[in-house]
Amino acid sequence: MRFRDLKKSRLSWRPIGYIGIMIFSCVMGYLVYLSQKPIVLEFGMFVGSNWDVANANSYVIIDKVIEQFEKEHPGVTVHYTSGIRKSDYSEWFAQKVLKGEMPDVAMILSDDFDQLVSLGVLQNLDELSKKDRSFEPSKFYQSALKIGSYEGGQYALPYEIVPMLMFVNKSLLNDEGFMVPEENWTWDDLYEICSKITKDTDNDGRIDQFGTYNYGWSEAVYANGEKLFNEDGSEVYFTDKKVIDSIKFLKKLTELNKGVKVTQNDFDAGNVAFMPLSFAEYRTYKAYPYKIKKYSTFKWDCITMPSGESGDNLSEVSALLMGISSHSKHKKLAWELLKMFTYNEAFQMDIFRYSQGASALKAVTNSKEAEQILSEDTDDRERVIDTRLLHNVIENGVITPKFPQYRQIMALAGGEVDKILSDEKDVESTLKITQRTVESLIQK
Amino acid sequence: MNARKIRYIKFLMLLINILAVAFPTVCIYITTNRICDFYIAREFIGKVATIPSRPHMILCLTILLLGCLLISFLFREYLFGESNLLKYGSLAFDFILCMTVMVIQHFNYNGILFWVFANIIYYVRDKVKILFMLLAMGIYVGTNYEVLSIQSSLFRFSDYVDYYGTTTQQYLLGIYNILVSLNSIVFILFCIYVIQEQQGVIEQVNSLYAKLTKTNTELQLANEELKQYAVMKEKMGETKERNRLAREIHDTLGHTLTGISAGIDACLTTIEMNPMATKKQLEVISKVTREGIGEVRRSVNQLRPDALERLSLDSALQTMIEDMQSVTKADIQLEYNLGSFRFREDEETTIYRIVQESITNSLRHGKADKIQITIGKRESYIDIEIQDNGIGCQEIKEGFGIRHMQERIQMLHGKVSFKGNKGFLVKAIIPVRWGEEYDESLNCR
Repeated sequence: MRFRDLKKSRLSWRPIGYIGIMIFSCVMGYLVYLSQKPIVLEFGMFVGSNWDVANANSYVIIDKVIEQFEKEHPGVTVHYTSGIRKSDYSEWFAQKVLKGEMPDVAMILSDDFDQLVSLGVLQNLDELSKKDRSFEPSKFYQSALKIGSYEGGQYALPYEIVPMLMFVNKSLLNDEGFMVPEENWTWDDLYEICSKITKDTDNDGRIDQFGTYNYGWSEAVYANGEKLFNEDGSEVYFTDKKVIDSIKFLKKLTELNKGVKVTQNDFDAGNVAFMPLSFAEYRTYKAYPYKIKKYSTFKWDCITMPSGESGDNLSEVSALLMGISSHSKHKKLAWELLKMFTYNEAFQMDIFRYSQGASALKAVTNSKEAEQILSEDTDDRERVIDTRLLHNVIENGVITPKFPQYRQIMALAGGEVDKILSDEKDVESTLKITQRTVESLIQK
Repeated sequence: MNARKIRYIKFLMLLINILAVAFPTVCIYITTNRICDFYIAREFIGKVATIPSRPHMILCLTILLLGCLLISFLFREYLFGESNLLKYGSLAFDFILCMTVMVIQHFNYNGILFWVFANIIYYVRDKVKILFMLLAMGIYVGTNYEVLSIQSSLFRFSDYVDYYGTTTQQYLLGIYNILVSLNSIVFILFCIYVIQEQQGVIEQVNSLYAKLTKTNTELQLANEELKQYAVMKEKMGETKERNRLAREIHDTLGHTLTGISAGIDACLTTIEMNPMATKKQLEVISKVTREGIGEVRRSVNQLRPDALERLSLDSALQTMIEDMQSVTKADIQLEYNLGSFRFREDEETTIYRIVQESITNSLRHGKADKIQITIGKRESYIDIEIQDNGIGCQEIKEGFGIRHMQERIQMLHGKVSFKGNKGFLVKAIIPVRWGEEYDESLNCR
């Protein structure tokens, strides 16, 4: 009996031993395979500009950075999928995220940023940056850095940055006897010019020359030293006095047009004096070859936004962000690559050379070299936006809050503001109601 | 039969759990692919709070872990036999597997813990079981999806179900809920069977106990009978011995006395007529009488220990002890403090028999392995003490042996006492007869 027991237990040990050996050899084999396999970093990018302007040199900086990176890190290759347009990028990226194949390093669209952070797919960079002694966050413009932060954590770094500027139709102003305003101009200056130039030039009874086009309530509010929301959207400031003042000013400005709606055609025809324009558009249409495509019938320039009664000459700043996947297997390498894209001054200078934005690094944007590159693009006779002005606008720029319903709420509130401007509704009470509606929407 | 049923239920339960874990995983995997095929990934991730990090990886890993769980079950049921180490090892392995499955599934389904509970209930049968069960219950409550999702972001199976139309949603959730409910039902069923089986074991134990009690009673009865039989046998031996004595007396003493009486009668008639013949006759009678005395002595000698016949008391005792020791391996010590004190034969025999009887009792009833015998003289008494380290007895029953000892001692006007609380002690005193002490000095003369 005892002998049989012994035999039985010996029989049951043997297959376990075999299975153990099999598993062990599989694991060892896999480890050897892993150690032999070359490391491939996946980079997610879209072709073209983040600010919807033409860009023929999309891959130039990317390829240069990758070449340099691969040279510095032998055995590591960086791979990217080419040909994804910006309009498709969000979906492409979402699919990658959903399938768990998010690239190690990727461009992040600002509309997707907060969603991706709250899904937990973007790596919090604080730990990586703290460990990296060569990394100095203060080298970035704080406004630019803030765009890539969420609830106090840094989840993305700005690769390229673009502030909003004010387009000025120089020809129109000259014809009406005005100089291009100084960079510290105010709403009063704006109103004075607009009130003078808004008129019916061909005497057909319809106003055909206008002061502003697309100058909206958010531009006015930012210039009046206020924001519409706090950073995460938990507070809404629609009923703030500064906001009400901004809308009132906007209403005064709109009333000059006597109910005529200004269109893009009016602007393209040179009949509008001012329009908010991104720095990216400025650079694109100021330089060859696109300068002959748009706004070629008149002379134009860009200046800062006019300051409100209690504000400054400030405007919105937006950035193209880059982040690291929180599921990346090579976070250190990904961090190095991310740094080469965003933190390397030589490659950041290339932003001025091959792209339309500005660098988020203070030392680059504020450099003589950058100013020289900018001046090369424009005609000698024209005034160049100097880098000092650019520096100020970016440094103090306002960034849009990050919460999921931002676009939707801005559209809704914009509709209400339009109703105020077109005299259908009262300013204060409408803003109060809108504030309440918006607050309840955000809470959902 | 019941064990087999339980095995089937366990298998069914494992199957349900495997389906309940695999179903949402497969659903999520397929839905992810569908969402990507229809280009609505951006819209989808805008609606959900969390997504699984790598759906295909989760699917592969889940299938692997479930496979391991199945193999572990089969090994435990068919291969491991009675080995506790392997059994508990595999249970621990199961627990780790289930926890891993729950973690990678973001705790969407924690019913798989029932599988661990079921095994604990079935295999762990000590007080530790309660501890294990409490721990398991704690883990079950602690791994509740709704509780955990307050603190950490976990993906939700129903988010993926929401992608489908209402009818499909109802079907998918229906199937899933049926699996979850089935798991609970089978778990309860399993518990009922296990309780039933354990109750069966208790009943078996009870019936065995009853049987044992009955057998014990029977054994006691038999023992009693045996005792009575022994008493009877003793009485029979006594009768037999008496008969033998009677025969002996009849054959020797009777024969001799008859001869003597007949011879004396003849002498009476011839004494006056023929004194010479009478003298001759008397010589014959004298011879017969001597022969008779010899005969009687021989008969009496048959009742007396042979050793005493040949040796002195202490040597005889020593020999007997050695004989006993050689047979029983007990350690018997004799302390003989009387030097070459000379006893009468009847005293020697009594002492010898008492010692012999005591040793026999100690070995037979007391199960002693150490016996100390002390024989000494105090004032005008001989002290005999026999102490053993056996089990002794609280109540001393007067058996044949003890009664015999008492009778023998009383015949010598001595006293005997017995004590059974620390081993067994026999203590006897015999008064020294006047003149005995001088036997030695007489001999010297």
